Amino acid sequence: MNHTVVVVGGNRTPFAKAGGALREASNHDLMTAAIDGLVARYGLAGTRVGEVAGGAVLKHPHDFNLTREAVLSSALAPETPACDLQQACATGLEATMYLANKIALGQLTHGIAAGADSTSDAPITVSGEMQRTLHAASRARSAQARVKAFSRLRPSHLAPLAPRVEEPRTGLSMGEHQAITGTRWGITREEQDDIALASHRNLAAAWDDGFFDDLVTPFLGLAKDAILRPDTTLEALARLRPVFGGEHGTMTAGNSTALSDGAAAVLLADADWAAEQGLPALARVVDAEVAAVDHPGGADLLLAPVAATGRLLARQGLTIGDIDLIEIHEAFASTVAATLKAWEDADHCRSVGLDGPIGAIDRSRLNVTGSSLAVGHPFAATGARIVPTLAKLLHARGPGSRGLISMCAAGGQGLVAILEAV
Amino acid sequence: MTAATVTLDHVPAMGAAFARAMVPTHRAAARLPEATVELLDQRQDPERLAAYSRVCGFTLKDAVPPTWLHVLTFPLHVHLLGAHDSTVRLVGAVHVSNEMTMHRPVRADERLTIRVHADRLRPHAKGALVDLVGEVSVDGETVWEGISTYLAHGAHTPGLPEALPRLPFSPAEPHGRWRLGPGLGRAYRGVSHDPNPIHTSKVLARAFGFPRPVIHGMWTHAHALATLEARLPASYRVSAGFARPIYLPGTVGFRTEHHDAGTDVIVTTRDGAKPHMIMRVTP
Repeated sequence: MNHTVVVVGGNRTPFAKAGGALREASNHDLMTAAIDGLVARYGLAGTRVGEVAGGAVLKHPHDFNLTREAVLSSALAPETPACDLQQACATGLEATMYLANKIALGQLTHGIAAGADSTSDAPITVSGEMQRTLHAASRARSAQARVKAFSRLRPSHLAPLAPRVEEPRTGLSMGEHQAITGTRWGITREEQDDIALASHRNLAAAWDDGFFDDLVTPFLGLAKDAILRPDTTLEALARLRPVFGGEHGTMTAGNSTALSDGAAAVLLADADWAAEQGLPALARVVDAEVAAVDHPGGADLLLAPVAATGRLLARQGLTIGDIDLIEIHEAFASTVAATLKAWEDADHCRSVGLDGPIGAIDRSRLNVTGSSLAVGHPFAATGARIVPTLAKLLHARGPGSRGLISMCAAGGQGLVAILEAV
Repeated sequence: MTAATVTLDHVPAMGAAFARAMVPTHRAAARLPEATVELLDQRQDPERLAAYSRVCGFTLKDAVPPTWLHVLTFPLHVHLLGAHDSTVRLVGAVHVSNEMTMHRPVRADERLTIRVHADRLRPHAKGALVDLVGEVSVDGETVWEGISTYLAHGAHTPGLPEALPRLPFSPAEPHGRWRLGPGLGRAYRGVSHDPNPIHTSKVLARAFGFPRPVIHGMWTHAHALATLEARLPASYRVSAGFARPIYLPGTVGFRTEHHDAGTDVIVTTRDGAKPHMIMRVTP
């Protein structure tokens, strides 16, 4: 019953800044575009795919069935079932693991994991009082009762509410949380700007090499990631003002991810089925581990992947030295720097239940084609962006090459997965 | 001295008693009401509980938070301190600390008997301290106990002044931040029924010496408890010391500290330098 699950390939839209080239596209539009590009690339038009799993983080109420609706708008057969799944910024990777597990169990031969987010089209909602009043009025059986329900409304209840970008239990934004972590771990401005610069340089080089030709499909006239600044320099990054951590903060718009629009999708399949269909197999999905930290108890919000990484490596009988390529989602450059420090810190690793430090890595193996700082980070899409990117890189290195993906997520959570080239 | 028990047949309206409780008296020595007041077999209002939970940040559950039970005892506090035989008045009386014990989880559908009496009038450098002691029982079983300590400014009682016990505080970086909007005092009044205008009116807050309206200490206490929520054991003690008022609108910091004695939630100024409230939960 244990089938080998392989990444066949992926597809995404180019990513853009909020209010940029993709601003008119909804989550539904973006996800449909990502799926359709994948369908075209692998000749799946009109076919019934086993299951599509996907999600969005900033979700509209009318998108309660987002993924199924995107399937119905796509070129897939309408008999393709779908489900929505959400784990904040880990959504795309969690959707990948959900389908990989079903394929491993023999419940599916193949499936598509997807994620989409539009910060340009983020939901604006009514106040809780307004919502309860409207519900009460709709339940009312007489005109008098309806009037009574509305009589409780006050002008302040009419103001629309933008989505909250803060952690509900701490009132701090993700950037403010990371600023605390950065200070705690002594992360410098220079380290962060170095990481940001490497992200842009690596992404620009990958685009120049044509690496993304079979991973990205143009959408709405946008052919390439719009956030990428191929010519940025350390001097330019050093000039930016801090945006988190106060006036002496070290986190800037250059070393923090931009609010982004975009979508990504991954085609996963049983290895035997893919071979029968004549589909490529880039890498197999080895295993994944999810973790969470003591939140809001004061633990570092975005360092949950540390415990997940240690537990996953231990379960697979691997050390960090056995991993050829590492993808650490760049929520902030500071998150990447703190994660790497935490991996080397024996006390921290023990404090989260590991036997000892995970260890140091050779930075030349990290985010080799750039990551979220340069690409952008449409929340739910990022996991589904990284999986095919890493699978393709590993495949190019040759069979047996291993890669690790580390994703932090809101609520003090983290998801880590290992792929191995086939 | 035998203390009588006065059984009220309904929750006393707080308006008149509150007005009376706000009027200062000019007695040489302070005197406390001797009676215990009680309300029998009270049904809890599920809609008000839901609204209370929303305003304070609790997840609405079948088991109610201890601060909700405090809110149900509060009309009896006002009734006692507005009584004709009480010289300790709510005017100038500041809620300085609060202690509660949950003996077991209390469900929202349980009928409650609520008793409150005043106790332990004792001198303090700035006046007198008095405890309002509450007890909630279900079918004769005590399920909740609470002691609210008020400092009555300017009240006199003989003896050596007593200092308030204070939990230790050291400045530290907050773990998070609460932004308290200008409407919070009004929202909390809606669910707590506490009519004190210093929480809702700029003008009256100023009249009582506050630059802006002050959020209720028991809201701060409730919101701090809500951050621990699912980590709370089935029975526990929780104490809170109110160090300085929080003005509306405003932003405060908070942090959580776990130690052998239990868990502290410390509400501070937004830079973490000074405490507003220190709460400790002990299993």
